[in-house]
This record gives sequence, structure tokens and C-alpha cells, in this order.
Amino acid sequence: MKYRQLSHTADLGLRIRGATREELFENAGAALTAILTDRRRLRRQKVEEIAVEAPDLETLLVAWLNRLLYLYDVDAFLGREFQILELSSQSLKAQARGEAYDPERHLAGTAVKAATYHHLEITERNGGWEATVILDL
Amino acid sequence: MASQVKLRQLDDYRWEIPREGKMRTRGLVFASGKMLPKIQEDQSLQQVANVATLPGIEGASMAMPDIHWGYGFPIGGVAAFNLEEGVVSPGGVGYDINCGVRLLRTHLARREVDGRIEELVNTLFKNIPSGLGSRRKDLKLTIPTLHQVMQYGAGWAVKNGFGHQGDLEHIEAQGRIPGADPELVSDFAMDRGKDQLGTLGSGNHFVEVGYVLETYDDKLAGALGLFKDQVTVIVHTGSRGLGHQVCDDYIKVMLKAAAKYNIELPDRQLCCAPLSSPEGKRYLAAMAAAANFAFANRQMITHWVRESFEQILQMGPKDLGLELIYDVAHNIAKIEEHLVNGKKKKLCVHRKGATRAFPPGHPETPAAYQKTGQPVLIPGDMGRYSFVLVGTEQALTETFGSTCHGAGREMSRHAALKTARGRNIVQELKAKGIIVRGAGRATVDEEIPEAYKDVEAVVEVAHGAGISRKVAKLKPLGVIKG
Repeated sequence: MKYRQLSHTADLGLRIRGATREELFENAGAALTAILTDRRRLRRQKVEEIAVEAPDLETLLVAWLNRLLYLYDVDAFLGREFQILELSSQSLKAQARGEAYDPERHLAGTAVKAATYHHLEITERNGGWEATVILDL
Repeated sequence: MASQVKLRQLDDYRWEIPREGKMRTRGLVFASGKMLPKIQEDQSLQQVANVATLPGIEGASMAMPDIHWGYGFPIGGVAAFNLEEGVVSPGGVGYDINCGVRLLRTHLARREVDGRIEELVNTLFKNIPSGLGSRRKDLKLTIPTLHQVMQYGAGWAVKNGFGHQGDLEHIEAQGRIPGADPELVSDFAMDRGKDQLGTLGSGNHFVEVGYVLETYDDKLAGALGLFKDQVTVIVHTGSRGLGHQVCDDYIKVMLKAAAKYNIELPDRQLCCAPLSSPEGKRYLAAMAAAANFAFANRQMITHWVRESFEQILQMGPKDLGLELIYDVAHNIAKIEEHLVNGKKKKLCVHRKGATRAFPPGHPETPAAYQKTGQPVLIPGDMGRYSFVLVGTEQALTETFGSTCHGAGREMSRHAALKTARGRNIVQELKAKGIIVRGAGRATVDEEIPEAYKDVEAVVEVAHGAGISRKVAKLKPLGVIKG
């Protein structure tokens, strides 16, 4: 399982896994889109080039998710697939393939205000990577 | 994840978290004994204790009876900090800066809208963009205009034909937090906000047409212009993507600032900076800008509520009497003067899911409510009821003039969806006489009435403890959900 949603009274937590750190970040992008809509109905029409920076790997994960929310607010863009091109503990470059959300064709899921730093964690586990992040809905 | 935090009962409505370890003050939680087990199931009490560790905190780290687990601060949290050693924390305001509620009254009795609710709800739904990523195609703001919105708040909306001057007298801080500096709001935030002014958004935001089911104090109700069976409208929304981005931008600033000023954080989401520091001042000025955007947002939505009523009921504004009773902010940090150990002191009061509840006679209580106390608006879930209260002297002395803000969730969104599975919530509510239009099924299902605490239990604690006084109970007739 690439990710699962964790129960949190007011908000929503995500537990994300990946064999590599790159895969962890890619799966995090997919997990976020899956809250907003049915990801499978999105077409790979548009490519967004994304670059973000942060002081460390954990805050980079929050910055990455919040940048995806920004793209959604500004252009209605939702990524179906994500590819991390470069990743260090302080910066990433990525491509997201997807399209603009269209209420006529796409399922309206739950809006997300932001990814938060509360209980934020990335750990290496059983040869892979696992992250916990709580979203404000 | 159950809470291990120690609690001592003080009376029927008050519980103390004794000062321990790194706490600089005690915690004070307003709740009934019956509510407590549910509160103890999650980490909200630990969050009250965490806030108590922040520098410059005055009085107790408090939680109102709608307390539940947030991120950083608990939802329902109130904390005041002095301007000398104290801090300001974006996490203590939240992502939805100046999320708030306004209440409108009408001259209409319930029977006058009988059979018209469905049309009204559909028209409201059409006129007010709502739902996931809602935006206005007809209103994209330029940067200079957006700056004006952030500078002047609801006043900008009124000046541009959305509502009238009298509305401003019935909004917390007259719909404009002073000290806003739009220059301190990032381009990212403005990008997100430019076509979101006048939109409801998603989640728990709504516009609700209802009626006065019951009044508790006829004199107070009369002074607020409320009468039994009267049609009312509640608007609940905030600063949309603009506010979310301001919060996120400044949390990043504060993570660095906390390290710079050697502030030890029990949770990164509590990151903060001294109120006297450049970082702290910049956040307050950016927060005020976002808060003003939210005041303008609710003001514009009010305009479209008025238009929708006029359109469907074919009545003029005078006959409708859709006037603003009040507009409160429930996610905000404000510089206010309070008595601390008998001395007047300026404090930065964080209200994170808490409402200001100033008493009669307070200079910041609007002129119309000098005798009643400031109106407090507590929305419940969409199937039950909402409450109107007024602020009290007790609130001013005990909670820096604060009270609860809503029902508070009891069920996670997951559990709510599970409970709603296989049911048609819209039909169920219709059978109860409540017409609901939601942009998406998920939002309606996540917001099922059972997912929330009974707001009446929350209000009973606030009333019983004396931190606000019950005036009226409103029942929904029609709701548009984001």
C-alpha cells in the first residue's frame, strides 16, 4: 500500500510509504490528489514543473504538498502522476501530470486547506521510507 | 491515542491541568463531566498543556467547551501573551485566518417562506460559488484592488456597492483589523486569493437559512432584533486560499524565528516569534490583511444573500429587512487591553476556534450592543440548531473575553463517511424539513449531524460557566454546503 488515511477528529492524517525517498514524495502527491478527487478520472493533459525548497526533508514534504495545493487553487490543476526528478534533503524538482479540475467530469472530494507540521515525521523503515503528515481540512 | 494529561475538577464546568514540567502556567478547560471522556480520547488536552509552555503567556492556557484535537493549538484554544516577552504563533490562529460567522435577521416570519426554501437554496447555490476550489469567473481582482481589500476589509466591499455603511457597525472591529500591510502578503497568497473573494469554499463552510426556534431572554432577544419564528441567515466562511497561504508562509518564517530566539517548541506547529520581533510584527500585519480579506468575503456573500432573497421572494430590501446582527471572527490573534492582576495590560489574544465575547459597556462592544453585550454566534451542525449568545463580564475577567465557536467534531471525517455509507443524507434531512445543497456528496456526508457534538451541550457549558449568556436557538430550513 502506497498510502493510507489516518483518523484524526477534525482533520486527516496520511501515512505514506515508498521504497525510496523519491517514491515517498511521489506517493504523497498521489495521496493528496486522492483526497480532492478520484485520481483515476484525471487525464494526463498538462505537465507542471515544480521546484520547492525547505530547511530539511520533513519540512520539504510539507512544502511539496502545499505547493500542489497552491497549483490547485490558482489553476485548478490536479496531478494524477508525479515524478521526482531531483531530491536532496533541502530541495526537489518534480513533474506533475494531470489536468484542471472540472466539476462536470470530476468527483468533488474533500477540500484541503494545508499540510501541517503537527506530528510530521519521515523515517526509514524496513529498507523503505515512511512519512506521517496531518492535513488541515 | 489517549491523553495522559492530569486533570483536576474545579466545579461543574471547569477543569484544571496543573502546571507541570515546562508549563509556564496552568491549563483551564471548560467542559461538563459528561463531555470529558470524549475529550480525553485524543490529544487535545496535551495541546492545551503544550501551549502553556510558550513564553510570555498570561493567565491560563484555555480551552473552550468545543475543544478538540487540532494541530499545534487545540481547536477551541484561547491563549494571551504579553507584548514584552510574549509570542505570536500562526498555528494559534490557524490556516483559515478570520474564519468566522455572521448572522442576518429578516422581517419575515417562517410561514412567509413556506414552500420557498428549495428555490431559495438553489438560488443561493447559484449566486454564491461554493465547493472544492470555488472561484468567481465574474470577479478577478487586480493586485492593486486586492491590496485595497486587504487594507480596508468589509469597508472596501461596502464602498464598492456590496452592502451598506450600517453593516460595518455590526462587524467585529468594524470589519477591518488595523495595522494590515498587504505588502507583507506573498504573491503566492495573492494568486490564490484573486478570484476567491465572494466564494464560500468547502469543508464546514455554509450559508444557512433558518428560523428562531426559541428565545431564552425576550429582552435580550428583542434588543438584538430577534423574535420567535423569525427567518434568519447564517454565513460561515473565511479567508480562503489567501489566508491558508499567509499562514503557511509565516509558519516557515516562524520555524526559523523560533530557533533564532531560542524558543523551545513541544510541537513544530506551535512555532512562533516574540511579538516585539520583526518576524512577529510582520506576521500580525499579514494576518490582519488576510483577516480583512475574510471580512470582505463575508460582506460580499451577504450582498448575494440579499439579492437571492429579493429575487425569489420578489420583495424589496426594506420589506425583507435582511440586516446584519453581527459578524464574529473565530480564528484570529488580536491586540486587546485586559486586566491582569488588576492592571490594564495590552495582550495578544489568540482565539483558535474560539469567539470573542465582550460584555455590555466594553469600548469594543459595538454601540448597538452596549447594553446587551456583544452578540456571539455559535453554529451547530446542519441537522440540529445554532445558538445566539451575548458576551459577559465573567468572560472578560476569566477568558480574556472569549467563549466557544461551534459544536466541535466528535467523529473523524472517515468515521462520518462510514456512518453515512449507504444512506442518502440529503433525503434524510429533507424528511426533517431541511433542504441541503452541497457541491459534492463527500462534503455533505462528512458533515452529517452525528459527526458533531451536540452544540446545545457545548452552549450549556459556556452559559453555565457564565462566559456567555444564551439568547436564542435557531433551527435550519435550508443549507448550502461548500
